[in-house]
Amino acid sequence: MPNVHPEDFVVPGLSVFYASTCTQCGSACGVMGRVREGRVLKMEGNPESKISGGKICGLGQAAVQVQYNPDRLTQPMMKVGSSLQPVSWDKAMAMLEEKTGPKSGINGDEFAFVTGAMSGHLKVLAQNYLDSLGSKNHFVYEALSPAVGFAANKQVYGVDMPRLRFDKAKLVVSFGSDFLGTGASPVHFAAEYAKFRKAPRGTLIQIEPKMTMTGANADRWIPIIPGTEGVFALGVANQLLKHGDFSKTVSVDIVNLVGKYDPDTVSGITGVSSDLIGHLAGLLWEKSPSLVISGASVEGHVHGVQNASAIQILNRILGNVGKTVDGQAQSPFPQLAPATGSFASLKAMNDGMGAGTYKAVFIYGANPVFTTPSFMGFRDNLRKVPFKVAFVNAIDETAEECDLVLPIYTAVEDFGSHIAWYQPEGVEITMQQPLMEKLYSDTRSMGDIMLDLVKQRRADEYKNWPDFRSYLKTAVVNIKPAVKYTDTDEHFWYDTLSRGVIHVDAPQQQIAESFSTEMLDLPTTINSPDPKFPFYLIPSERHYFRDGRHANCGWLQESPDPLTTVVWDSWAEIHPKTAESMGIKEGDYLEISSQNGTLKVKAYLFPGIHPDAISIPLGQGHESLGRFAKGVGVNPFRILNPVFEKDTGELAMYGTRVSVKKTAESEIVVKDEGPVSTQMGRKLVVTLPADVAQLSKEI
Amino acid sequence: MIHRLLAALCFAFLFGAAAGAEPFVQGGPIGSQTPDGYNALGPVVKQPIEFPHYRHARDMGINCMYCHTGARRGYVSVIPRIDKCIGCHQNIESVRNKPRIKKLFEYWDKKEPIPWKKVNDLPDYVRFNHERHIQRFYFRQNRPVREVCGYCHGDVANMTVDRRVKALSMGWCISCHQKDHKESDTNLKTSHGPGECWQCHK
Amino acid sequence: MSITNLLNNWSFYRKKRPYQGQYDLNRQYSEYKWAMALDLDICTGCNACTTACYAENNLPVVGKERFKHGHVMHWIRIERYWDEKMGEFPEQGASFLPMMCQQCEEAPCETVCPVGATSHTNDGLNSQNYHRCVGSRYCSVNCPYKVRYFNFWNYPSTAWPAPLPDQLNPDVTVRTKGIMEKCTFCVQRLNEAKSRARTEYRLVRDGEVVPACVQACPTSAITFGNIVDPKSKVAMMWKNQQVDLYKDMQEKDNSVRGYRILEDLRPFPSVMYLERVRDMEA
Repeated sequence: MPNVHPEDFVVPGLSVFYASTCTQCGSACGVMGRVREGRVLKMEGNPESKISGGKICGLGQAAVQVQYNPDRLTQPMMKVGSSLQPVSWDKAMAMLEEKTGPKSGINGDEFAFVTGAMSGHLKVLAQNYLDSLGSKNHFVYEALSPAVGFAANKQVYGVDMPRLRFDKAKLVVSFGSDFLGTGASPVHFAAEYAKFRKAPRGTLIQIEPKMTMTGANADRWIPIIPGTEGVFALGVANQLLKHGDFSKTVSVDIVNLVGKYDPDTVSGITGVSSDLIGHLAGLLWEKSPSLVISGASVEGHVHGVQNASAIQILNRILGNVGKTVDGQAQSPFPQLAPATGSFASLKAMNDGMGAGTYKAVFIYGANPVFTTPSFMGFRDNLRKVPFKVAFVNAIDETAEECDLVLPIYTAVEDFGSHIAWYQPEGVEITMQQPLMEKLYSDTRSMGDIMLDLVKQRRADEYKNWPDFRSYLKTAVVNIKPAVKYTDTDEHFWYDTLSRGVIHVDAPQQQIAESFSTEMLDLPTTINSPDPKFPFYLIPSERHYFRDGRHANCGWLQESPDPLTTVVWDSWAEIHPKTAESMGIKEGDYLEISSQNGTLKVKAYLFPGIHPDAISIPLGQGHESLGRFAKGVGVNPFRILNPVFEKDTGELAMYGTRVSVKKTAESEIVVKDEGPVSTQMGRKLVVTLPADVAQLSKEI
Repeated sequence: MIHRLLAALCFAFLFGAAAGAEPFVQGGPIGSQTPDGYNALGPVVKQPIEFPHYRHARDMGINCMYCHTGARRGYVSVIPRIDKCIGCHQNIESVRNKPRIKKLFEYWDKKEPIPWKKVNDLPDYVRFNHERHIQRFYFRQNRPVREVCGYCHGDVANMTVDRRVKALSMGWCISCHQKDHKESDTNLKTSHGPGECWQCHK
Repeated sequence: MSITNLLNNWSFYRKKRPYQGQYDLNRQYSEYKWAMALDLDICTGCNACTTACYAENNLPVVGKERFKHGHVMHWIRIERYWDEKMGEFPEQGASFLPMMCQQCEEAPCETVCPVGATSHTNDGLNSQNYHRCVGSRYCSVNCPYKVRYFNFWNYPSTAWPAPLPDQLNPDVTVRTKGIMEKCTFCVQRLNEAKSRARTEYRLVRDGEVVPACVQACPTSAITFGNIVDPKSKVAMMWKNQQVDLYKDMQEKDNSVRGYRILEDLRPFPSVMYLERVRDMEA
């Protein structure tokens, strides 16, 4: 249809690419949206972004399915009786004013704002709103937060997150870190991994109880009893110190610490053969510089921080600090820095709700009713709060409990700025801009709503900004001196939007010179299993599902899990040997019970798991959210036990023990893989030994 | 059976060749062919404004691409936006009160797009690339624009409201693609259009 | 081929399986022959390519029930294999194999199509023409890679509840029931790039156009290009890996990683894979 007014750069039939930022996870990849005739059709990587490097993962591509999701909330909803009913924005905002405005008499301590991880100027605005209320209750909550890893890094390196140089390492030893699939910055790390695998080809060794996608790409995958990774690392350290080179450079503390971890003891605790410990120490000694990293399966235990610290100490011993473990750039904008979120934060809030402290709660970017274990009683506690508001794209489990549900723009309709917590080089501020007009006239920008809320009390201070865009523009233009941009403000703003990123050179954070080993007190006795709950439960993180917030995308549901190739479902991974001893076949329904509940889920026989462990992927089991997610699979968050990491108070995700009972029911597991899981002697994927390959001669 | 089929086919070919002389035959729906296969006058399309192509293209001598700006750049030739019309017509006082212009300004004042109807429509599985044809014959070979556009659209410059005059069927496209066309007036080398399915079918 | 020719050579066509020389193996591509090189050592099996394909090529999401019956429509899939000699645990990880239409030079699918819906283009692709396809599914049966997908259901009416159709790529047809479909190397992108290049009196530059899977791949494991241009990266890789488009059962040095899958069936595929490498000492 011909338009009335000219739209710049729009030629019907031709695609235009606009730079923006992906908000599907916390990596803040710079992306480009392909726009045609005013609609965004596809997401692609923005080559200007050092984080994405012009690439994109499947989760990022699904941003368009969030945008055009048939189950999107298109108008404000208000709780009437027990159900949510449509209401006008005027009424909704009037209700907000009535309950939380200046005349409501609400006290700052009676108000809580729960958000997911946040960074950039929206975070600043949210902070300003809380300040205007006199509230300190900003609870940043991520179900899968990096808080334990940060605490361990802080102990060993003095920084939250060092910069990891895969490209420089000859050997990477990863303890349960699925850096290719989940975690800090999967797209960036995948590119680094590719460099690492080019000549001279680095070796990857993965030690974890359940094979992750990264484990599947390892040269050697070593199964281990969950929670004993730290002991294993100290066992390796013990052997390393037998090499003369290291015993000279390492402090007495460490020598004393690792003394008692001789191979036989360690092998007894970890279930890994003692030969392998010596072998790994030998490899680490031989291939320098190396890089030792730890991940979710190490951190999710009572002694998670110590477990991870014990592993990070290997980098200290091997002299990797300064070579493959480096400081990230120190952001010159502390107010924009990411709040990464933690479980402890939500627990405090939940306790407050239980005690009846809060009169009003706002929830944005988090779905705690879905992602909290049932023992917390979050849903019941939330119901005790008189006024609850959710800001969402689609009604999820948490929004169903709220009194007011406000539909906000999706990431492709809104403005924003983001700073990722893992920065590969310098500091990259990634800019988010609308890739298309809003799809539904009755949705609003989260930034605009926040601005309205701040204006309730600080109208004068914010009167110059009619909307979030103008606020963001003023704020972004303030960055101009930091990047030595000399042209006008207007140019800077449009230049920034069209490039999608602002690179700021900043000095590196300093890695502490020394560290204390005092805190390390890992269990040395053999982990004795509870006879009632003999299995370790591994709630595994799927790379396109994470905590389940994007489960309502058809593409993601139909994208096979890389290792099991299962689609549209949940499953329990069980080792074939264990399954055989229990008479379990693929597709048999299992009852998996912890002290806090039971899940009924199909068995999938999976060789890449410790025989004493059972793994159920996270992200499924929604009771709400929409047609593609509702009623699909089970939610392992629900049955987690109240086991907490002792230093940080985080939920110990891997600390739950379960029992497994076979039921009489069975059903086909819907998966992409064929009836056989090997190549049957055909030359489909050929494997070449690394010493035969001559990668350096390749183009 | 086979023989009877073959006979029917032969008859169809013969009939097709014999009937080729007739200039314009009322065509059926888009894509249907008249016996000669090529010239098929489309139905009269009633447009919201009876746009006089002859006034613009013939009397004023305006290049087709002044309004159909997409033709040289992409797949779609582009129906102009109203601001394009207004851009000229706000300065042409002499015709300001003619009924059609008044109607145009009504749309403009209401900020409503004009609901033009499509005249030369192709099935959804065909992608016709305007750009290549314009670049090849108008820019490279310097042929007159009315002739180049006219290969497919006929003599629009003598029409009021546009009307389809060619079959826009595959056989008709191919018949032209199979011809050898001179590269340019100075380069006498000839080439013909691409002839594989995926060039146009998507 | 005339009918007389067909009848005269009927026994020949009936009996002979494809043999070397039957086709014009010295088929000269004057401008373009699209080809790929896929490094299995850095493919992580992450599925970014498959999702990119869903987005670019309007692939329908079929749902659990239809997936169960094998009706999934992923033009590119990641196959996962365990090692045959695996003991209790997969100590060398898994093997991932991204599998899409190999755009064979002597495509088994082309010879069996009763209506000529699939044919070879001048760029060396196996074109699939939806509007000509009658759904005999012979091609799928004859495809050794099993990369052709049949629309058993009328997906346009079910797979995209509103407003999901707004996301559909207008450059790609939405296929209806009874149609066979497959990977096209994103021919809509190739056509656009070719047309742009022609307007500028040149050939498409190396790296100027890539299919959606190549563009997305976070590890850049896939290289795509025009193998006619000896300076293109993909042509150099093929040469370096001692893989020739028109040879089967190729001999190569032990240390060289390039190979084509099921080469001994002589479909002469246009996708070269590079062997996965594992450090056996680790």
